[in-house]
Amino acid sequence: MIDRSRFTRRQFGQAALAGATVLGAPLPLRYAQAQSAPANLKVALLLPTSGVQAQIGQACKRGADVANAVFADMKMPVKLDIANYDTETKPDVARTQAEKAIEAGAHVLVGAFDSGQTIAIAQVAEQRGVPFVVNIAAAPQITEQGYKFVVRNFPTAPMLISGAFELHKEIFKASGVTPKTAVLMSINDTFGTAMMGGIKAMFPKLDMPYQLVDTISYDPAAKDLSVEVAKAKATKADMLMPVCRLNDAKLLIQELVKQRWEPMAVMNPGSPGLYEQDFLKTMGKYGEFHISNVPWLDPKSTMTQSLEKQHAAKFAGDQLDLNGGFTFEALLIAAQAWLDAKSTKPDALMDALRKIKIDHHVMVGGPIQFDAKGQNVGIKAAAVQNLKRKPTVVMPKASAAAELVFPEPGWNDKRRT
Amino acid sequence: MTIHRRLLSGVAPRILWMLMGLLALLIAAPYFIDKYALSVLILILYFAYVGQAWNIMMGFAGELSLGHALYAGLGGYVAAGLFTHYGLGPWAGVFAAAAAAALAGAIVGYLGFRFSLAGVYFALLTIAFGEFTRIAFDHLDWFGGSAGLFLKVDVAPNPFDLRGGPVLFYYVILALAAAAFVLSRLLLESRLGRYWLAIREDAEAAQAVGVPVLRYKLMAVMISAALTSLAGVWNAFYYNNLFPETAFGIGRSIEITLAPIIGGLGTLFGPIVGAVVLTGMGEAFTSLGDTLGIPGIKQIFYGLALLIIVMYRPAGIWPWLSERLGLGERPR
Repeated sequence: MIDRSRFTRRQFGQAALAGATVLGAPLPLRYAQAQSAPANLKVALLLPTSGVQAQIGQACKRGADVANAVFADMKMPVKLDIANYDTETKPDVARTQAEKAIEAGAHVLVGAFDSGQTIAIAQVAEQRGVPFVVNIAAAPQITEQGYKFVVRNFPTAPMLISGAFELHKEIFKASGVTPKTAVLMSINDTFGTAMMGGIKAMFPKLDMPYQLVDTISYDPAAKDLSVEVAKAKATKADMLMPVCRLNDAKLLIQELVKQRWEPMAVMNPGSPGLYEQDFLKTMGKYGEFHISNVPWLDPKSTMTQSLEKQHAAKFAGDQLDLNGGFTFEALLIAAQAWLDAKSTKPDALMDALRKIKIDHHVMVGGPIQFDAKGQNVGIKAAAVQNLKRKPTVVMPKASAAAELVFPEPGWNDKRRT
Repeated sequence: MTIHRRLLSGVAPRILWMLMGLLALLIAAPYFIDKYALSVLILILYFAYVGQAWNIMMGFAGELSLGHALYAGLGGYVAAGLFTHYGLGPWAGVFAAAAAAALAGAIVGYLGFRFSLAGVYFALLTIAFGEFTRIAFDHLDWFGGSAGLFLKVDVAPNPFDLRGGPVLFYYVILALAAAAFVLSRLLLESRLGRYWLAIREDAEAAQAVGVPVLRYKLMAVMISAALTSLAGVWNAFYYNNLFPETAFGIGRSIEITLAPIIGGLGTLFGPIVGAVVLTGMGEAFTSLGDTLGIPGIKQIFYGLALLIIVMYRPAGIWPWLSERLGLGERPR
């Protein structure tokens, strides 16, 4: 008697064949797609749009989503075919997605916000000989490996820190007020620990006009920063420098208000948190006048104005920030390289990338061009002050969209509305 | 009984032929599949290998570890650190890595078993060790601290230093996965394996009949930890960077456990089948998410699929499949 609850081996073989056919059916199509002569440059955008870094990955993606509209607005004769690949905030997925993108015929890879994921993609790009434009990733090692197919349009961690501290000096000079002491508070996560280490190492060499009287770190999961803020207040420091993220930035400012501590300034040395949309919405008038020293969009650039217009039209509820700006610029670089190379061949594109010089772009700083290692060394930090619920460039002067307010007004000052 | 006999006893020739055919296919795979498919195959073999290593502790000896990333992370960091600072190649570094992981396993195991921590309490201990090692590595400058440890990338093939392209890493992980399968089979068929099964089923009864429970549980943890550390070494040299947050993260530990749980705990083929199903499913849902342009949809479908598998096949896919195919491997 036949036992119908069992597969026979023949049935198993048939089922396996059917499964393989279903799974393999798209392969010829994928191959044909990859082989067909493309009308446009195919760009694979690899970002962490899900997982721990999803919020930032999606902010990056929004900058890319309006890229073609901005190119058209700026009368650039270029249109990119942008394919999105989610890295899920994991280096192993980033690597597999990069392989998939190249098999699907991508001419240029762009990504990936995070250093670990970026390095995983960089290896694939190098092995397969496909140009890779890094939008955001600060680990210096990315451009120290001797890669031939990788360029980065983002400052390294030391560049971020030194750029931020140089701006401090400019701010003091412009305002005529110099704090004598400062206290550094930092979140104790990967980013915060790296920043604290970098600041401690670089601070003595930067010849800053103030003394760093204390460094206080706190847990990323902290629900209350009353003790840490009380400790910082007790130092009587003139200035508070927080290395923070979104949630702890909110806790920090709430506690400053509660404890009636009014330092001359809350000015971060190159970290997120204070300029973020959610921070500005939640903190209201107490979120005003704080300064972030970070790379930012140049409001004086017509391309930035176009990007802001297109972004506002497509994503009315979302703020355009440095994540969207740098991702847009990465696509701008790919587009310009294609225009210069007049080819989608990797070597021609890479040659064009090495010689590229883009004067007209969106972020604060000099022309986009890469040194021998593939690093854009012309990126400058900007002092971004929260004014009227909007992060506004106040330094450098050439890019300023509003006057600097320094020292910042007290918590009950009428200028806080 | 000789190793040869122990390995092959009770195995039907057709199964042996099937296994040899599968191995031959896998050896030839890089010559007929594209690079993307190869990268997926690499992930399958990686998860099959670490699943096999974890299965020794949980599936055979019945000790639940939810902090296995500790051993993979330690292995990776030790070998990568020795390579970066002293130029010691991974084939030598792997011994230091395995020793460090086995020592960590012994400490975790001794603390847990000596004080009779079992079940979820032991699992919590393994998580705690993973977490505080992560925090410690955030502050160890020799290992790069929280800014990460980076290996010099060299695409020119150099098997002696484990430098090269994906094909090299594919064959290394294939060899590891095959070796772990054979080792698991040998262990299961040995006196050690029988003791583990006895301890898993009823530790007190095993103790009563003279099985030195503490010693054999410790051996399970140490062997499992040492094997897992090899995956960590491979991982470090494949991706060329290590960050404490990812190397020791709880997410990594959970990933290690999924393949054997879904495939079938305590079985030899379970971790392999689980790795194939989970990685295949993961890739399919990732493609679906990319196509639909809905970020995160993969996690929803993936979670649902896991839920369905666990609900309808609580013992795992392989025991059910092997019964259907008449192959007969049952969970031990």
